[in-house]
Amino acid sequence: MDQLKETLVSLRSVTRSVTLPDEQQLHILKGIDLEVHSGDHTAIVGRSGCGKSTLLNLLGLLDVPTSGELEFLGQPADRLGNNARARLRGSTVGFVFQQFNLLPGRTALDNVITPLFYANGREFWRRRELAMDMLDRVGLAARANTMPNMLSGGEQQRVAIARALVRRPRLILADEPTGALDVETGQSVMALLDTVATETAAALVTITHDTNVVALARACYRLDAGVLSPLTLAEAGVSA
Amino acid sequence: MTGVISTLVEAWQELRINKVRILLALMGVALSVAALTSVVGVGNLAREGYKVQSERNGGRVATLALSINGPTPPDPAKIEKVYQGIQQRYGITTSTHMGQTQAGFQFPRGVTPVSMTIVDIGYGTIHRVPLLQGSWFAADDGQRLAPAVVVSEAFYNQAGRPNLTTHPTVTISGDQPATAVIIGVVPDVYPDMPPAAFILTEGAAMTGMQPQMSEFKLWVGEEQADALTAAITADLQGQFPGYYAQANRVDYAAWGDPLAPVQLVVGGVAGLVLLLGAVGMLNISMVTVRYRVREIGIRRSFGATSGRIFVGVMMESVVATAVAGIAGVMLAVAVVKHPWIESKVAPGLTEYPAFPIDAALLGFGAAVLVGALAGAIPALVAVRVKVIDAIRF
Repeated sequence: MDQLKETLVSLRSVTRSVTLPDEQQLHILKGIDLEVHSGDHTAIVGRSGCGKSTLLNLLGLLDVPTSGELEFLGQPADRLGNNARARLRGSTVGFVFQQFNLLPGRTALDNVITPLFYANGREFWRRRELAMDMLDRVGLAARANTMPNMLSGGEQQRVAIARALVRRPRLILADEPTGALDVETGQSVMALLDTVATETAAALVTITHDTNVVALARACYRLDAGVLSPLTLAEAGVSA
Repeated sequence: MTGVISTLVEAWQELRINKVRILLALMGVALSVAALTSVVGVGNLAREGYKVQSERNGGRVATLALSINGPTPPDPAKIEKVYQGIQQRYGITTSTHMGQTQAGFQFPRGVTPVSMTIVDIGYGTIHRVPLLQGSWFAADDGQRLAPAVVVSEAFYNQAGRPNLTTHPTVTISGDQPATAVIIGVVPDVYPDMPPAAFILTEGAAMTGMQPQMSEFKLWVGEEQADALTAAITADLQGQFPGYYAQANRVDYAAWGDPLAPVQLVVGGVAGLVLLLGAVGMLNISMVTVRYRVREIGIRRSFGATSGRIFVGVMMESVVATAVAGIAGVMLAVAVVKHPWIESKVAPGLTEYPAFPIDAALLGFGAAVLVGALAGAIPALVAVRVKVIDAIRF
């Protein structure tokens, strides 16, 4: 079983700081150690402003650490150029955002097709078919030609999930995916995300405040003032 | 290959989705291109009109006029011999005598003085004589017993507008009354112009017309004009010592292109119009990119490289302005080729030239260039967008 668990992302003593307008350094992440393997379902909890999104950006190659080592599929991230990171991100990582971030003026199908514009030849030429398959998988094939503003919040997030998964990413990063949904819809969306991630053996890393989301995770971490520490599900407030 | 095609497909999709906004932005570019192309097209038409009018007056490029003046009139027979010799020596095939005189013609309302121009056949070619009816003189017209005349429209009207296929005749009154045959009609040079007519040198001699002043014109290639002017002048001075004899260029282009400064000013105005269109396009593109910051961030999160974002934003602009360029050029063709515009811009032309292809290419090329420039700056802004900030925008 462990042989199947390939290390996707590895962070060792990673820090991330930014310089404030008054020239002071703000240390957002401090000495983060984390490994994400294929098939992992990991939840990261923490208060607002504790650095959760910054951590997610590092995991998704949207940002680079100030210090420490970040390896993505065994490659040191700091040795990858912007374009190499973009290509690796496109082929390996799928993002699900709290505010869905669907592109306005485009149908659900066009939104799901968008990542396939940056795919290789075979995926690009089959983009419509692949996108329809993924919409079918999230139960929205019938609404493929509907504009986002005509979809409910839950439906929009399902379109966003279909868009994140259409290139079969090995790592799914979800930034408070239920944050803009009611409890019931949030649960169904998370169940869908969890199921699809399990089916495709993708790793799922979710940043959340929602204990229902934490309950679906196999591992949980707390991020507090930039420091990441393991957390049991019970500590996270999830009843057994 | 897939990368190029996917970039084009993506750009086209963006155009399709944002068609209303882009349509508004492109109207300015299309109108600018139409203005630029129209200005160049109208400029070319006006230039052609001016050229034709000038060549009718002074002769085609390059026309040389030979003159010999001195204390006593030179022997006409010798002059004629020298002229023939010059033509043979330099292989000049198109030439004409040109003399002015007056003759009375018998019209239904009485005898009317007519301004006569005594010419050779070559005059029609050298001065691009336009014809409303009939034909210019042919080689055998000099042998006619009743001399042929090509008349102005005022003359033709006074003669009662006879049908030329019936070979209508008019009587030249005077000491030696003669009958002439009207073979062609040319337009009046200006409104309410008195009647005028052309007659061949042979016909004039037959009817006893004596030119009050005469000159001899040669049509030569523009490249050889300067060399021939010097050589012929030297020849004339050698043949007529003590006389002021010389060859001069008399066509409109003798002192350079008189329309070049006008063309430069018009071109500058057209460029300014296009620049205004480009600034409008750039302005809208900049606003659009700011509006699309989040979208760009989202695309980056899905793997779009900075190069791809740059090309994508620029291609949208280039594809759109190319379409606007085609629309602008079509509008310009419709304007420039409108019969009313043609008749006002080039009233001297009887056949209008085709729409200049260089003006169409200039308009289209300018549109694409504007698209590339107006797209490049927003594309640079788009590339510099920080993905994390953009997604939260």
